Amino acid sequence: MSASFATAWYFAALLFFIGLYCMAASRNLLRQLIGLEVMSKGSLLAIIASGAMSNLSLAQAVIITMIVIEVVVVAAGLVLLVKTYRVTGGVDVWKLSSLKG
Amino acid sequence: MIEYREFLYVAVTLCALAAVMSKNMLTSAISLAAMSVGVALILFDFNAPWAAVFELSVCAGLITVLFISAVSLLRKEEAFFAEDRTRFRLLPLFALIVAIGGWIAGWPFFEALADYARFGARGQSLGSMLWETRRMDLLGQIAILAAGVLVINSVFAVKKAEK
Repeated sequence: MSASFATAWYFAALLFFIGLYCMAASRNLLRQLIGLEVMSKGSLLAIIASGAMSNLSLAQAVIITMIVIEVVVVAAGLVLLVKTYRVTGGVDVWKLSSLKG
Repeated sequence: MIEYREFLYVAVTLCALAAVMSKNMLTSAISLAAMSVGVALILFDFNAPWAAVFELSVCAGLITVLFISAVSLLRKEEAFFAEDRTRFRLLPLFALIVAIGGWIAGWPFFEALADYARFGARGQSLGSMLWETRRMDLLGQIAILAAGVLVINSVFAVKKAEK
């Protein structure tokens, strides 16, 4: 059981790294949202592995909440993306410097 | 021999790499959907059908539709600029380094973490769990809430200044 838990956390950490790298390396807002999705999948794996060892129903409840919030975050992010595109003419984060002092 | 669950983990990781590395945004969105399907299968394997159904319907379905509609909104007008692809081509190398490093250094840490999960299995109530063993988490949540309040405060302050 412990080996299964460690495997899940190992891959969760790997997924989290891939998402984090994507968010850090890309200048494209859409790709950054994709990185965020990958990161959240990593944390979901970590939660379900912990839940399998302790309290699975609680873990399922947490995961369902997380998925719902994830959808809201993605929808809000995509709305901001389209808005950014209309304001700046692109989805480049480096162009978002209108508040620069 | 590779077991079913390990195979799914590897497939999910490969789909994540494909989603991050592909040049075309549509391919990225579809790889993300494939990754969600893999995660849903893992959830089924962990005996968590409700979470799996949510993952399958919401993440593999709704989020993909949202991504594809956003791509189609932007695509017409050539919103995407030429990005430096070298960073993304280097990602498998970095991921491999992290994977090998994690195999050597992280594995004992993850094994040790299992003790905490067993500690949580002792059937304490949520209140005693939160207040007696997870105080640092609570402090972190309070800090995040305070940061949110500060953000809202600053946004409204800007609006006042505009008037």
